Amino acid sequence: MNAPPAGPAAPVLVCAFAVTRTPPELAASAAATGHEEGGPLRVLRAGGLCLVVQDVPAALFDEEALAERLNRPDDLERCARAHHRGVEAAARRGPVVPLPMATLYRGDRSAEQAVAAREAVLGALLDRLRGRTEWAVKVHAAGGTANATAAGAPADSGTGAGARGRAYLSRASARRRDRQDAHGRALAEADAVDAELRRYAVDATRHRPQSERLTGRRTPQLINAAYLVEESDSAAFKHALARLTADGRHAAVEVSASGPWIPYSFARWDEAPDIMAPDTTGPSRTEPSRTEPHSTAPERTPPHRTEQRPMKQEARS
Amino acid sequence: MTDVDHRFASPETQPYTPVTGNLADLLERVLDKGIVIAGDIKIDLLDIELLTIRLRLFIASVDTAKKAGIDWWETDPALSSRAARDALADENERLRARLDALEGAAEETQGAAR
Repeated sequence: MNAPPAGPAAPVLVCAFAVTRTPPELAASAAATGHEEGGPLRVLRAGGLCLVVQDVPAALFDEEALAERLNRPDDLERCARAHHRGVEAAARRGPVVPLPMATLYRGDRSAEQAVAAREAVLGALLDRLRGRTEWAVKVHAAGGTANATAAGAPADSGTGAGARGRAYLSRASARRRDRQDAHGRALAEADAVDAELRRYAVDATRHRPQSERLTGRRTPQLINAAYLVEESDSAAFKHALARLTADGRHAAVEVSASGPWIPYSFARWDEAPDIMAPDTTGPSRTEPSRTEPHSTAPERTPPHRTEQRPMKQEARS
Repeated sequence: MTDVDHRFASPETQPYTPVTGNLADLLERVLDKGIVIAGDIKIDLLDIELLTIRLRLFIASVDTAKKAGIDWWETDPALSSRAARDALADENERLRARLDALEGAAEETQGAAR
């Protein structure tokens, strides 16, 4: 490691990983060190909540240094994994609200204040995430070729340029129809997959579908979803996933999944601008009265929607 | 306490990618839309997808280079220009497909007009 030693004199920043209600036993998880350039994980108390943090050298983590480092692929990866380790360590003994990577405070006091000011929101999130995990599911159009019809193009329409032209365009339009049909089928099947998985999930949200450049596939990503799944339903969810990936019922799509994840995608505590302000108006703002059109378990209606796909979003101005 | 360790251990063998191995999924989750809005320090990152693509290219090139015993990637700032070339190739392919379809449609109209 060529990082400057974080001696007592070196200026440090406080890097926050996650909010919990139960203080995690960090001594027991000595392996979970967070960022390798920083000190040991610590727990700050803020109201009834705990914040798992680590001192990190300011020389490596201030705006300038970090912005530069995170734009370097190797540092970005190390940083992301380090953050995930810190969050995992915090999650050992109960639900967590994972914070975004590189949530940095100038000192313990401002970190504690930030959490205390949002105690109601964070508490509601912790209740909502308790005993639930997240599954990442991506649905791609299947790579199969649209080579069907076309072969039966009319061969009896005489000779010469005209006939060749007609044959060509009938092939071309058949190809086009095939492509459109295949895409329509894939979209419909992707929706069916989503609907099936939602049956076993408490909530679902979408990330932006990844481009073909990122996925390295030749077919488009149709759905990039995250599902919040109750612990007791996770076996059923996994079975549903296995069925969807295995049985050829949805031949026009390919389904891939990863999980279980700590529910990062359902823990966006600073998303709504009005939550940024210190919570002085009571719990009403954490419990929007919006109903869940998709929920199959109304009694579990979660307080937050994190739907990120604009077309599915209710009007919200 | 209902949620102890078993939450991340799965009793049965599962065919899915282990969490720690899936970088794109991880970045999608830990990077808060590219901008850190909690905390005292605000860092504007590049687009998450761009960052992830560069990371993938980086990993791919490290692997390739390691096999070849070279370390050009350390000095080559053009990892992203390679991504741009890939994008161009993709775009080229898409455009050809469209041209194909459009030509077909045009001939079809002409044929119908005759």
